[in-house]
Amino acid sequence: MRRCRWLVLPILLAFSPALLQAQDRRLSDRLDPATASSVQQLVDSARAAGLPTEPLVQKALEGSTMGASGDRIRAAVAGLFSQLGRAREALGNSASEAELTAGAGALRAGLPPASLAELHRLRYHQSLAVPIAVLADLVAEGMPREQATREVFELAREGRPDDEFVALRRRVQNQKRGEPGTTEPLQRPAAAPAADPPSAAR
Amino acid sequence: MPVDHHDRSGDDLLQQVVDELRQPVRLDATVDATALERIRRMGPPADSRWRFRLVAGLAAAALAAGLLLAVFLPPREALSGLSTARAVRLRLVAPASSRVVVVGDFNNWDPGATPLRSTGRQGVWTVELRLKPGRYHYTYLVDGREWVRDPAEPPAPESDFGAPTSVLTVS
Repeated sequence: MRRCRWLVLPILLAFSPALLQAQDRRLSDRLDPATASSVQQLVDSARAAGLPTEPLVQKALEGSTMGASGDRIRAAVAGLFSQLGRAREALGNSASEAELTAGAGALRAGLPPASLAELHRLRYHQSLAVPIAVLADLVAEGMPREQATREVFELAREGRPDDEFVALRRRVQNQKRGEPGTTEPLQRPAAAPAADPPSAAR
Repeated sequence: MPVDHHDRSGDDLLQQVVDELRQPVRLDATVDATALERIRRMGPPADSRWRFRLVAGLAAAALAAGLLLAVFLPPREALSGLSTARAVRLRLVAPASSRVVVVGDFNNWDPGATPLRSTGRQGVWTVELRLKPGRYHYTYLVDGREWVRDPAEPPAPESDFGAPTSVLTVS
């Protein structure tokens, strides 16, 4: 019997991952208990369904930082959860986390699931994350949905690499501002135009 | 040849001692049983118990280390992402501001995590991040009270919480 006590520690440790993962500390630290609990349920459901969970956590944290009510945070997280599910229906079970996240953003931008499915078909053996993100960005920048879809599909049909999708987006963005087109890497955002500083910062 | 009588008597004595030592020692029949019973009551030798504790302790420590690594070590995807992280410079023109921070998916929307540094020129604020490929929502918080989205990147299609945000794609 005395020897059994040496087994207690390993047994406790064996169960510790489940205990530690019971609730994301970021949620319990930043949200009220009721909101944290309901968001955690959505996170757990997403995990069980094989959907990305981090975007849901980040959405809740965004709401917390912006002082949103618990109801509003729950609604926003539930909406994103639903869009991630719809994105997977359109892109298939093999879609990566990045593709699903980008797909949810595209659906949020008003693109139909059929557009995602068609992009999946055109670019079957390549990652869809960047083309989908660019498609959503073009629509967000004000380009008509049909035109944005046509231009992105054209690049996908020709098997162009990710960089060319990014260049398309940068070109459209610069044209919108009346600047000469560039192919500046997307990960180095252009300087905020000095002539058009954000109004709130003036 | 003379005979050494002293040597002969010494040999006899030695032989007697040897013969005596060769005689089996007769013990009481209960001695064996008593000794064995005492040994049984003593349990395993002390060094054996400590050996068991040492092995159990090492096994527990190894298990604990493995579990802690499994729980707290970032997933492989995140580790591979770190190796491919890109430098991203964010820049905002905010001339009349005293403090600018950026919050987003890359810093858990923590207003204390990523302040921008004033360049001292025309109200330009800047910060460099290292981000793995992905898509990030973010916005600036100016002077702790105003949300300002990055005009250099596309606006997020939705505004769930009323503040404008931008979307940054790192490829």
